[in-house]
Amino acid sequence: MDFGFTAEQEKLRKEIHDFFANELPEDYATHISPVTRELQAFFLQLQNKAGQKRYLTPGWPREYGGMGLSAVEQGIMQEEEAYFGIVWPASLALRLLGPGLILFGTEEQKKEFIPAIARGEQIWFEAFTEPEAGTDEANQQTRAIPDGDYYVVNGQKTFISGAYKPHYLFTEVRTADVIPKHRGLSVFMIPANLPGITIRPLPTMGFGLQNEIFFDDVRVPKKNMLGELNRGFYHVMEIFTFERSGTGGPAGAIRNLREFVQFCKREKRNGKRLIDDPDVRMMLAQMAVENEVRHLIGWHAQWWFGQRQRLGPKPYDLSGFFQKLLTTRHAEMMSRILGMYGQLRTGSKYAKHDGRTERSWEVTRSLHAAGTFEVNKIVLAGRGLGLPRVPAKFNKQITEALQQER
Amino acid sequence: MDFSLSEEQEMLKTAAREFLEKECPEDVVREAEEGDLGYRPDLWRKIADLGWLGLAYPEQYGGTGGSFLDLAVLYEEMGRAMFPSPHLSTVALCGLTILAAGKEQQKRDLLPKIAKGELIMALALTEPESSWDGRAWDAEGVTVPATRDGTAYIINGTKLFVHDGHIADYFLCVARTAAGRRPEAGITLFLVDAKSRGIRCTPLKTTAGDKQCEVVFNKVRVPRKNIVGRLNGGWAPLARVLKQGAVLVCAEMVGAEQRLLELTVDYAKTRIQFDMPIGINQYVQEHCVNLLSYLEGARWTTYEAAWRLSEGLPCDMEVAMAKAWTSDGHEKVCWHAHQVHAGVGYTIDDGVLPLYSRRGKTLQYYLGDATYHLKKVAEQMEKWPTLERPKGRPLGLWKIPEEEQIPVWQPWRERWDRLQKRREEIRQAEKKARA
Repeated sequence: MDFGFTAEQEKLRKEIHDFFANELPEDYATHISPVTRELQAFFLQLQNKAGQKRYLTPGWPREYGGMGLSAVEQGIMQEEEAYFGIVWPASLALRLLGPGLILFGTEEQKKEFIPAIARGEQIWFEAFTEPEAGTDEANQQTRAIPDGDYYVVNGQKTFISGAYKPHYLFTEVRTADVIPKHRGLSVFMIPANLPGITIRPLPTMGFGLQNEIFFDDVRVPKKNMLGELNRGFYHVMEIFTFERSGTGGPAGAIRNLREFVQFCKREKRNGKRLIDDPDVRMMLAQMAVENEVRHLIGWHAQWWFGQRQRLGPKPYDLSGFFQKLLTTRHAEMMSRILGMYGQLRTGSKYAKHDGRTERSWEVTRSLHAAGTFEVNKIVLAGRGLGLPRVPAKFNKQITEALQQER
Repeated sequence: MDFSLSEEQEMLKTAAREFLEKECPEDVVREAEEGDLGYRPDLWRKIADLGWLGLAYPEQYGGTGGSFLDLAVLYEEMGRAMFPSPHLSTVALCGLTILAAGKEQQKRDLLPKIAKGELIMALALTEPESSWDGRAWDAEGVTVPATRDGTAYIINGTKLFVHDGHIADYFLCVARTAAGRRPEAGITLFLVDAKSRGIRCTPLKTTAGDKQCEVVFNKVRVPRKNIVGRLNGGWAPLARVLKQGAVLVCAEMVGAEQRLLELTVDYAKTRIQFDMPIGINQYVQEHCVNLLSYLEGARWTTYEAAWRLSEGLPCDMEVAMAKAWTSDGHEKVCWHAHQVHAGVGYTIDDGVLPLYSRRGKTLQYYLGDATYHLKKVAEQMEKWPTLERPKGRPLGLWKIPEEEQIPVWQPWRERWDRLQKRREEIRQAEKKARA
């Protein structure tokens, strides 16, 4: 058992840390979203610089443009990125597409996309959610009908996260009408500028952006399918095992709390520092303990990922559970510490801590993303602990029985 | 970064589990509660033979030279089985203190005897006032005086919540020998023969039915040579052992929680109501998942603290975090287990759940509860260094809030609005044409 790092690993951490410390400006603020043209341009050029050093794809094999780092080393990089609040514009491509291509791509597809993704030159949207297919992800209605060398795609995707203009869409569409539904899905890589694609921005709370994407007779070349026809659902499931909650989230939370504690050491109320108020002190301590738990759970998952050949699949992973539970709780606790001032947004007159607390609170309304808290718990209970579930094949009967009852 | 146990630790864990499953079933735990001794002398001898008492003592003092982490692994299994024994009092709280503070001769005299199971000891630290004031485990809480009288000291006062006081051969009594600005600077550790005149030991009635005692030292005379370590130098070594003890108690709670998870999930899968296992109900699943979350947090915070103690690394923060989370979490784990078990978890003649739940109350408070340790966490947070700012030239891009900026997606939004407007116009034109 060892909760420390080797000298080599500390050297890597310092290298990444120094890169960001030198590249980021002194007036950099982690809580301001990159919504302006200038901010987006800044992050895109930073991404290019990182891409040149292979920092964007630390876990990829070297021949694909990566650094070939181990799971623990990747965990260290995630922590340093999160410490500086960096979310790469191309993060979806880096985290999902790249591994997906490495796993299922043809040689041509790999050649076409992987180097560009590794250099951070491509922005991809991951378009899996539809109005009728959220948690019920396999209920995709967007259809792809074969026509010569093309598939003609019609349908709609919604709540697609992404504030940067996309080059490509990574989409799951229905290529067969079968029961069970998930056996009729395929994944495609669709250029975002094809005729028939319309993107509608859906601004969210916390200055984020999601999008609606409409497909009207979009002709997608057949060679843009990733993996096998009608096996898309399984490909996506495998790709999502790379969606490591990992060590980044907890590192970001630890950083945010440290900033808040600094604020509490400076700010006074009723003649004494906020941090000297016993109630505030207890809340801060509680948050620190909970962050440490997140940190350890994240590293446990990251370490296991590196050992998965030997250990097999991890029976359960509480990273997502704690992220959703504690992010909400902490944002609310910090907001309460500020009281009425907790409402003041960044840039507002009288705003304290530059409105970071208000921003964090707004973001807590997004914890349904990448799997709702409820689904998270259901998966933990079912797959993690082996608790029973009603088999899905009875769902239609149950719905009919309920309607008859009415 | 490595979360696995060593091969030896895995072997120790397996051996301990097998031994305790065989030798410490439910009725052994029950008998300990109901009887006067509170433990089984024959089992104490058996675990001495297995080397469990000298596990963390150097070989020259009769031990096997294991690490503190090894001890934590053992304690997890003892906690799982709710093994009733004076191990924590004797081997850890008193033994490790003697190891840390004792004069060479004291170590040679006492530690081998402890390792062989020939000596039982109890730490007499906490007092009625200090236990109430939240200072039970701090130097300020020690007020029972030991006054010099020739070649002896007279200890006069009451200690409360002394575990295993009733069976101790010796007390390790923590007394105040000097008053001054720094409370830590006036504390001395005394080895007190339990048969000394003036000692009265009475077990308290506790939730767990364990033998926590009131120990009254009524002008008890203790020879000067029974000072463990230096006069007025007792607090520093003891403070470290209190941290070790807190982590061992955490390990016990982790072991208990692991079994509670297994029992609860098993019950949810097998208990049939309305023709279905109750575990199919998502509210029942929620209890199990919450239980799991407290256990996982407890496990890794505890082992991180244990590892740091084992390696001699600074760990005030980690120990406090482990005990704060685990103490609080343990109560919740027991509660969730009770919710799922409902009726069968409440009756006391049969079934382990009330045993775990009631023992949990001892473990939750022993060596500092969540409130106490959160205060310690806060003290450590004061010491956090200021975060450094990045070093690049300021660019002025982050000053103005987004609301006053035009977001980069504004043209898309306008394009969409134009598209919708055009569609509406077309719809209206078609409507008109049809009319």
